[in-house]
Formats: sequence, structure tokens, C-alpha cells
Amino acid sequence: MALLKAAFTVLTSALLLVQSPRASEYQVKAVFLFNFAQFVEWPAVATPDSQPVIIGVLGEDPLGTFLDETVRGERLGLRPFEIRRYRELTDIRACNILFISRSESERVGEILAALGKRPILTVSDGDDFAKRGGMIQFVNDKNRIRLRINLEAAQAANVTISSKLLRVAEIVRTPRP
Amino acid sequence: MRDWPIKRKLTAILLLISGLVLVLTSAAFVTYEVVTNRETIKIHLATRSRILAANSTAALAFANETDAKEMLAALRFDPHMVAAALYDRDGRVLATYPVTAGADLVPAAPQPDGYRFEGGRLVGFTPVAQGANQRLGTLYIASDTKAVSDALRLSGIVAIVVLAIALLAAYALAAALQGRISAPILALAETATAASTRQDYSLRAPKFGEDELGTLTDAFNQMLGRIEEQKKELQQHATRLEQRVAERTRELEKRAAELLAANNELDAFAYSVSHDLRAPLRSIDGFSQVLLEDYATQLGDGGRDSLHRVRAASQRMATLIDDLLKLARVTRAEMRTERVDLSAIARDIVVDIQRGAPDHQVEFAVRPGLEAQGDSRLLRVVLDNLLRNGWKYSSKRPHARVEFHALDENGERVFVVKDNGAGFDMRYADKLFGVFQRLHSAAEFEGTGVGLATVRRIINRHGGRIWAEGVVDQGATFYFTL
Repeated sequence: MALLKAAFTVLTSALLLVQSPRASEYQVKAVFLFNFAQFVEWPAVATPDSQPVIIGVLGEDPLGTFLDETVRGERLGLRPFEIRRYRELTDIRACNILFISRSESERVGEILAALGKRPILTVSDGDDFAKRGGMIQFVNDKNRIRLRINLEAAQAANVTISSKLLRVAEIVRTPRP
Repeated sequence: MRDWPIKRKLTAILLLISGLVLVLTSAAFVTYEVVTNRETIKIHLATRSRILAANSTAALAFANETDAKEMLAALRFDPHMVAAALYDRDGRVLATYPVTAGADLVPAAPQPDGYRFEGGRLVGFTPVAQGANQRLGTLYIASDTKAVSDALRLSGIVAIVVLAIALLAAYALAAALQGRISAPILALAETATAASTRQDYSLRAPKFGEDELGTLTDAFNQMLGRIEEQKKELQQHATRLEQRVAERTRELEKRAAELLAANNELDAFAYSVSHDLRAPLRSIDGFSQVLLEDYATQLGDGGRDSLHRVRAASQRMATLIDDLLKLARVTRAEMRTERVDLSAIARDIVVDIQRGAPDHQVEFAVRPGLEAQGDSRLLRVVLDNLLRNGWKYSSKRPHARVEFHALDENGERVFVVKDNGAGFDMRYADKLFGVFQRLHSAAEFEGTGVGLATVRRIINRHGGRIWAEGVVDQGATFYFTL
């Protein structure tokens, strides 16, 4: 089964490579970040309907303008999107999706601990981000971007991830000491 | 169809109408079935598409072909599904069903949303979106239309079976019911034919009911009745008429017999009188001659002259009596009908006339070969009279000429004797043929006035006619037929 899946992956990544040569890695990641909003539910208190959906970027921003371009003019229901860039952990107030840059790889444990059970969907492309307690990790797999989800972390933060999203992702757990 | 018997016509009309109705109904049924089935499979495809689209959102949102393929692969449970594909928001193919589907099955780019029949397939493009949000891509599904063709075939078979059964039933009913209309008409036609061929007007057509055909039968029977009455009346009239004709005929025969008897008596009387008159006349002439021969000297010039006149008068009277006797004989003589060469007779007569008076220069022109059916003796009398008349009345002309020829008028042979002599006034034409009727004095042209009367009697006895045309001083023409 794993072999089959690998074969599929090879085949389809090759397909994608052929079909979308211009879509850069971070362009795709920007779109994914935007799409997460549609498959994730936050507790109603954390996200009042009047507030925009806030996508935050912590650390050095590798997405450049891709993210701004992706969300421009888009809405989740009635809510517009807003992009915020944070230099320090303390800058983070109201935030729905937080992309943690590779630049912060060293501090991931610290950052996640600081965020605690705040209902923020944490996303990063850093190594072992999901295993270290992050909610969604981008995994580069032969020019394709796969998702790795730590469902326990999301549940702990009261962030509900749609089963549809889970379908297309690999579920991991935080290894118990 | 025009000459078909009425039974077949009625059956044909009923079958035609019911057949037409059935065909239209069946066509409507089949059309309804096909349209309904098309709509049904369209709705099915739309429903299936929407479910699949709803399940494919994550696969599209996160470009997961594996998941997309698995989603589409579920379509294999529906054998009608031909092909499917997922396009991302940029219109690129993410996954197809079957996995190796080529360009003939999957369009390279998504087309406007909606469901339509295309080239024997039902194709649909469904938007893929999570909730009310931005569109993530497009789902394409194509299914075959076998359900529609199956429905068409099934409803077609049903329609044909129903059509056949209904037509058979219609035929049976039509054959059974057409008699209600055709039977009275056939009975009427049969009666009419029998009445006209056998001339039997006592026949009556049987009546089947009080409808229009009943009225027609009544009217026809009345007509037959009236014809019967009229025929009877006509026969009575005819019988009465025959009786009257027979009566009249008997009367006429009686009259004719009486007339004939009277005529014969008259002829006999004329004959005997003429015959009896000859003896005293011969005495008068004879004794006058004796007186003239024996007592000529005693009589003197005056007496001799008177006696000469007596003799001339008595001789003329003798001729007159001879002519009258001839006329009587003509009437009484028995006729022997045979083929007569009139030209030959005419030539004989001409020779005879010319021998009698060689110094008269009259030219005779007789056409040869004229023949007729009749009594040669009597016809000789006719020609003798006519030719002699011509000769006599033209004798005072410098270039006298008498012709005998014939012409054909209205298919009838008309013989002509023509001269260029004294002629006559057409006002007296009807007097020409009367006994003792003369248009010229004896001093001018001698004659007794019996000749033409004799001629007419002979012509009449031959069943012919005679008439004359003339102009004073320019000649006369006599025509006769036999």
C-alpha cells in the first residue's frame, strides 16, 4: 500500500510538475495558508464575525507578496482577510492562522509553549514541526507539498480541523517521552 | 379506394382514424418517456456531481491528486459513468477518471458550468467550492445515455405491442360495428339494383332504424311506390291509346276501302263512258265523210266547210277519248316491276319523234346509262309524254334543245327532262298536272291536257314524285323520282 502510494505520488508529482511549472513553492504555500481558513473552525469567542480573518507571519517572511496577492479581495463568509507580520512573540494578539518561518526553527518549542492553548492554527515548513507540537506542517515531497497534521495539538487548542482536510493530510502525534 | 365496397371503406376509415390516434399517442408516450429519462439522468448526474464536488474540496484546495483520484474512482460503481476530471482554480487537470483517460474523454480545460447532452453523452461541469467561499475548481463528469436509449427501446416495444393489440381490437370492433351503417345502405343498393334490372317496382327496401338512413329508405320506398303507380297509369294510358288507334285504323281502313271502291267505280264509269262515246263519234265522223264524198256538190262551199269542221272536232274528241282511256288504263293496269334502262327508252322515243317530223330541228341530249326500278311500259309512257312535251314547246325556237339526265339530291335519284321552249308561269305550276288543264291554247300548241295527268298518275303509282320549274319563254324543267 505504501509502495502504491509512493508510486502514485511519483506519478502525480510528475504530472503537477509538467502542468504547473510556474507555481513556485511559496506561491503554493500562500494559497494553502489561505485555504486552511475554509477547512478550520475556531471557537466563536476567539473569532467574532465582525473581525477579519487574520493570517500572521512570524519571523522572516519567505512568502513575500504571494500571500497578500492570494487573499486580496477574498472573504470567508462576510469576513475579509488580513495579513499581519510579527517580529516578536509578544506582538501576537488576535490571530487565526500563524505561519512560523524557518527562521524561527530554533525557537519553535518556545513559541508553541508561549502560544499555549490559544485557538491559533499554527503552520510551518520547519523540520518536524508537527511532531514538536505544531498543528500543520508543510512537507516538501519531490516538488509537491504535503500536509502533516498534529490533530492532538489542534484539539488541545480548541481548533477544529475539517475531516476533509484530514483526508488529504498525514496525521502525526507528539511522541511521548 | 374510390371503388371499394362501403364495408371496406368504413372499416378502413375507422382503422385509419384509430391508427392515427394510436400512433400519435404512442409517439407522445415514447417522447415523454425519452424526455423524462433524459431529465432524470440529468438530475442524477447533477446530484452525483454536487456530492462529489463537495467531497473534492480539500483535494483541490491542497492539490492532493491521490485523494482526488480516490474520489473520482468511486464512480466505477456506476457503470454509466464514462469519464470524470477535477480541474483546479487555474483550469489545470488535477485528476481524471479513468486514471488513464485521454483527451477524447476529458476536455483539456473546463467549460461553462451546467449539464448538457453532447455527442451521445451527458456531460456536466460543476463548480467546486467549500461553503459559500471562493471557487476551488471544477468537476467534470460524463455519463453515457444508455438509460435514455434503454428507455426509448423499452417504451418503443411497449408502444408497438400496444399499437398492434389496439389496432387488432379496433379492426375487430370496426368489422363488427360498420354493419350498422353499411347494412341499410347495402340493402338499399340491393333493392335499387333489383328494381332497376327487373323493372319490378313493387319491391321495398328493409328499414333498420329511425336515423338518416331510415329516412333515406323511407324516401326511396316512397319513390318506388310512386314509380309503380305512375307505371300503372302509363300502362292504362297506353292500353287506351292502343284501343283508340286500333279503332281509328279500322275506321280508316273502312274509309279507304270505300274510297277505293268509289274510285274503281269512277274509273269503270269513265272507261265505259269513253268506250261508249267512241261508237257514236265514229258514226258522226263516218257519216260526215260520206256526206263530203257523196254530196259534196250539193252542199256548197259553206256546207263542206262546216262538215270539215265537224270531222276535225269529232277526230279531236276521239283523240281526247283515247287519251282518257289511256289514263284510265294506266290507273287500272297491273304493274310489273323490273330493272328498266330509261336511257334506251328515251333514245327509242327520240328516234320515233324525229322520224315523225324530220323538218323540225330539235337537238336531243340523252345521258346514257340511266336506270330505274319500275314498269317499263308505264315508264315509257312517262318519258314519251315529257320528251314530246319538250319537243312540242321548244319547236318554235331557232336552237331548240331537249335534255334527259339525272342528279342526286339528298341521296335520292332525281330524273330531269329539260327544254328551252315556251316555258310557263310558276304561278300556275300546280295546274300543270290536272286533267284537261292547259296553260296554252290548242291553236298555239296542240294537246288534250291529259298527258301530264297521266304522267303524274304513273309516277304516283311508282311511289315517286313529280314537279316542274319554268320561266315564260325560257323553258321548262320537269323533275321526277321513282
